[in-house]
Parts: sequence; C-alpha cells; structure tokens
Amino acid sequence: MSSSAEHSKAEFRHEALLYVGWEEFIAGTVPFIRDGLSAGEPVLVVESAEKIEMLRLALGGDVGEVLFADMAQVGANPACIIPAWHEFVTLNAAPGRRMRGIGEPIWRERSSDELVECQRHESLLNVAFGRGEPWWLLCPYDVEKLDPAVIEEARRSHEFVAERGARQRSDSFRGFDASGAPFDVPLPEPESVASRLAFGATDLESLREVVSRQARAARLKASRAAELVIAVNEIATNSIRHGGGRGTLRIWHEPTALVCEIRDRGRFDKPLAGRQRPSNDPAAPRGLWLANHLCDLVQIRTLADGTVVRLHMNRLPTSHLRVVPDIH
Amino acid sequence: MGIADRSRDFWTAGWEGRISIDDLVDAFMGGGTVYADKQLVVTRTLAPIGLRFSGEIDINNCGAVARCLSAIAADEVDVHLDISSLLFCDISGIRAFVEAAQRREKGRLMLHGLPELLQTVMRVTGWADLPNLHVCDCKGGSA
Repeated sequence: MSSSAEHSKAEFRHEALLYVGWEEFIAGTVPFIRDGLSAGEPVLVVESAEKIEMLRLALGGDVGEVLFADMAQVGANPACIIPAWHEFVTLNAAPGRRMRGIGEPIWRERSSDELVECQRHESLLNVAFGRGEPWWLLCPYDVEKLDPAVIEEARRSHEFVAERGARQRSDSFRGFDASGAPFDVPLPEPESVASRLAFGATDLESLREVVSRQARAARLKASRAAELVIAVNEIATNSIRHGGGRGTLRIWHEPTALVCEIRDRGRFDKPLAGRQRPSNDPAAPRGLWLANHLCDLVQIRTLADGTVVRLHMNRLPTSHLRVVPDIH
Repeated sequence: MGIADRSRDFWTAGWEGRISIDDLVDAFMGGGTVYADKQLVVTRTLAPIGLRFSGEIDINNCGAVARCLSAIAADEVDVHLDISSLLFCDISGIRAFVEAAQRREKGRLMLHGLPELLQTVMRVTGWADLPNLHVCDCKGGSA
C-alpha cells in the first residue's frame, strides 16, 4: 500500500482503514507501524487486548518500540480518547518529527448510545488535531461486523480512506470546519422517568438529594453514587451559570445504567469542552472534564432550544476510574 | 437538615469522636462561628490556627468560603482547614481552597480529613500537588 501523494507530511492525517478479516487488518496495520518505526516516528496503538496480542506477534522484534494501550479502558467513555491522543502527541512533538497512531474506537458490541458518541469522537478528532502537530492516525473499521451505515459515517468523518490495498481521499468527508458543528443527533426518550426536578441556584441541595436517592435505588456502589452526585451537580451548575440560570433534571433507570439528564436554555458551542485537560488557571472550566472521567458515558446535544447533557453510570461493576493514562 | 441539627451533629462528633486539648482551647479562647448558612457552618480554630468546615459547599456559598479563607491569618503561618465534616464540596469550593493557597507566599494551607472523593476530584481536575496546598493524611481533625 503506498502513501497518497496528495497529503502534506506536515499535517494531521486522519484515515479510516476498512478491513475485512484478520489478514486485511494485519496487512493494513503492520506495514503502517513498520514504516513509522523505520522513519523514527513514535507509534501508539490503542486497540483491544486481543488485537494488541496479535500485533505483538506479527511485529516480532520490532514490537519493543511501539506503545500499546487497551481501547476497552482508554475508550470505555469515548470522550476520554482525545485526551489520550493529545497526551501522546504533546509528549512526542518535536520540530520536524512526525508521529503515528492506530485507534479502533468502534466495535460491534458497543451499545447504540456508545456508538453515536464514538462517531462524534471521530469527527472531533479533526477539530482537536486538524492544522496541529503532524501525525497520522489510522482508524480500523471491521467492515464484516459493523453496520454499513457505520462505514458510511466513517467515510464522512475521515479525510482519507484505505481499503482493499489502496488509499484515497474520501469523497464524502464532511470537512474540518463542519466536523465541529453543533451536535444534534436525536436522543431516545426514556420509557419512564423516575425523578424530575426543575432547578435554579437555590435548589442544588435538593438536586443532590434526588440524585443520591435514585443512585441508592439503582444500587450503585456508594463511591460511584457520590461521583455521580458531584458530576450532576457540576453540569447543573453550568446550567445556572451559562444556561439561563435554571434547568431541568430528569433521572431514569435503564437495564444497565442510571441516567441523569440536565436540560437548559443555554447554547453549547465549544465542541471540545470536556475533552481538553484543564489549564493551570484555577478559573478554567472543569465540570465536563470531571463528568467525563467520573461517568461511564456523557452525551451532549446542542438543540435549537437549548442544551441537553446525559450522564450514564453503569449499575454493573465497571472498570477503574478513567484518568488519562501516562504515556511515556 | 437545618443549621441547628448540623451544628449539633458536628459538635457531638467533635466531643465524642476526638476530645482534644485543641477543642478545649478553641472553645475557651474565642474560636467560634465565622460563617453560617442553611448548608454550611465555618468555625474558627485557634490551636492550630485555621477553620473547620461542616456541611456543604457549592456555588451558593463558595464566595463566602473564599472570604473566610482570605481573612483567616497572616501569610507567615500555616493555616489548618478541618474538612472532615464537609459532606459535599463542588469544583467552585475546591477552587476557593486552591486560589487561597496560591495567594499565600510563605504559609501553607493544610487540608485535614479530605474525603476520598475530593482527593479523586482534585487529582482528575489537575489540582493535586500544588505547592502551597498540603493534603494531610491524618484521619481528620486539625491536630
């Protein structure tokens, strides 16, 4: 597979690898890694444990120079993937140095809610890294196992597509500017709502009590319940400060998770909010960043009449707290 | 929970849980309530010099917390904050502690009894390991 001459080596390149079966996966990734290593480029692979094992075997003696991270942990909440890439790029950036990454955030077992957030994540990579450091991110998509609509969306969120041994620009790429456009994909309505509360600044104490009560009803572990309370409180605080001074909380129980939704009349127009590590300035916003690292899934929608944020906390025991891993 | 209940719980916990010379000194030497609202009581402590927070901090009272912190002591001494009875503290509250610590040039802000959740929040939000904000690993109390 030869690199496209159309792409400048001084830019971020976001490319989808559409593969069928293990052989195409290996053929699309191993030479990509080897080319990077031989050019002296740092390489980070964020994949499933199974694929990491396979790549280690296929790379043989070259494997020592490649960094690996488990996507099931890094990307359990898809909003935590961009910070991990950002860490890698920032740590390795040097004048004239390019970098490479492989990241497969979408697999068949992803829930429908997670899938939509993964697709948003893929688009936001263009906003986060477009026109920034020169690195090449290859995102494998399993064509056999994923819905054709998922593959179509991959063609819209990636500037380049590699398939059947050839690389080319994607005709349907939505462009760097449109990648950060307000996200308004509809959210499914819950079957029944367990709690509802219209709140203003003086109702935060009641709001925390309502969340606590529902967390107990959902049998969340006490520490997870406390994390959910602080996350919901922060999002509600955003509504009070930036969303017209008040909002509405709804809570419902799903088979695998407790979901808290905050709606307000504000206009959410910072697509990367919650995906960039807070600056050292104490005044810098931290609420969405915290929610992304405490909750299992965070959905944000910018609608014509306001903003919706949903926080999911899984009932089942979940992985550890997803603090951005140190990548050295 | 009203302020009276909170205060009673707090003082009960204080006397039954850790009867110390410091509590006695505070009581007799002028330690007292410096701020109270329906969800938070802030008490001055004199040995060591500092404040004791009991209740909940959010955007409704984080400004008052900041004012309490700026008025507490000269820059030369360490200030001890007993937050073992703090039931809830949001980011605006932690921000008040962080900003108070950053304003100090010599003395440190010592946090006693920091709940595990707040330790997690401070780590995730990048507020761990600040030079003038010291998290004491004692189990609470300001001794």
